[in-house]
Amino acid sequence: MMCANARESMAASWAAELDDASELQLKRHLAECGECAAEMRELTAIWERMADLPVPEPSTAQHVRWEAALAGLTRSAGPARDWRRTSGNWKFTLESLWPRRPVWQATIAAACLMAGLIGGAFVETAMQKDRGDSREIAALREEIAATREMVALSLLGQGSATGRLRGVDYSERLPALEPRMVSALIEAVNGDPNVNVRLAAIDALSRAENDAAVRSSMAASLERQDSPMVQAALIDYLVDSRDVSAAARLREFSARPDLNDAVKQHAEIGARRLTEYR
Amino acid sequence: MAAVARGDLASMSGIYEHRNRALFRFFYRLTGRQALAEDLTHEVFLRMIRYRHTYERGEGAPEPGFEARPEAAFEAWMYRIARNAYADFRRRSRLETGAGDGEMEAVESGAISAFESVAKQQDLATLHRALGRLAEDKRELIVMARFQGLSYEQIGGILGCEPNTVKGRMFRAMKEVSRIYTELLREKAS
Repeated sequence: MMCANARESMAASWAAELDDASELQLKRHLAECGECAAEMRELTAIWERMADLPVPEPSTAQHVRWEAALAGLTRSAGPARDWRRTSGNWKFTLESLWPRRPVWQATIAAACLMAGLIGGAFVETAMQKDRGDSREIAALREEIAATREMVALSLLGQGSATGRLRGVDYSERLPALEPRMVSALIEAVNGDPNVNVRLAAIDALSRAENDAAVRSSMAASLERQDSPMVQAALIDYLVDSRDVSAAARLREFSARPDLNDAVKQHAEIGARRLTEYR
Repeated sequence: MAAVARGDLASMSGIYEHRNRALFRFFYRLTGRQALAEDLTHEVFLRMIRYRHTYERGEGAPEPGFEARPEAAFEAWMYRIARNAYADFRRRSRLETGAGDGEMEAVESGAISAFESVAKQQDLATLHRALGRLAEDKRELIVMARFQGLSYEQIGGILGCEPNTVKGRMFRAMKEVSRIYTELLREKAS
């Protein structure tokens, strides 16, 4: 056995795909070739160690997402047609019907022209049907958005911080933030034990900064926060949204005696900027 | 799958139950990212529905020897779709490697932390990193043969090459992962 063949046999041996005869040949080769024997020992050890690597598991959110997608597809799909066979039959039928004499071919061409003109009259009807199809597509899109929202809300309720971060991430993929999603994100900003989740939720809510109620909730949340990073992010949020009514609140906040110096300075600058926007 | 191809989409539920973990693990081993692996798994099942006619047409079972084994033919078809989905993702994200600079993501999730705590005890974290630094094609081969339990014949069918070629490549992939693993251990020791 050559070394190249031995290497193929080694790979087969790791996957238990080596028959008895080939195994015997490999053993003989390894007994004679020190280099291959060393490689076999080294790589077999790696192969075996790989068995101890943890087996990853998908999250429950994946299942929820799939079930919702399949339900949507099942509802919207009609019975499948075998276009392949259908088109094959048409081709055969047309070929057998097509006349060989030019005069008949010209007659058929003229008939086709007439049919085209008459068919034009029905174009409006067809366009109306298209508009109906568009409505179906729009409905399907809405359904997908609703599914995403459901997944995002479900993730935001998870026990692990990573799950909740993914929930926030999902919310950013939604075409628009619906009230349910907005309140879930505000809840995350106010009460999530993980700072990263709170920061991500503040970022996600930047899409709702035109909503006065959201801005008011964010300003109110400032008082509840104990993390300087979250406090700074909320100050940025209020300044970026140009919520001039928050200027007084920021000044009041900056006067808190227990405040981090950097945050205090940040709040004062923010209040000044908001006053300038007036 | 034949029922799905005939338009019975509800049958897809059974296929999902049976295959979603395997597909998720395939993508997770390739990318090292939970969320991405889940997204790609979802995408593959949607593509299975979209391209169900390609399975019925027999494109799922072109390799000799698969005709009598519909399971193997289905797996070959499914992994081809999975590879295409991953290639499309790579194209879109223009990533050099699946997990960014060849390094598997070290997510600060509870699950990964738990993994790391176990892995550190047995030097598995180093092996995990070595796999992450492996070239994409080599990692894919190891994932298919070692973790997905596909035979070399099946892998040959998916990649479009002979089983012996796959074995040769597999040897080189293992050699490479071993080299990286040893290097990482040496770095750790110094």
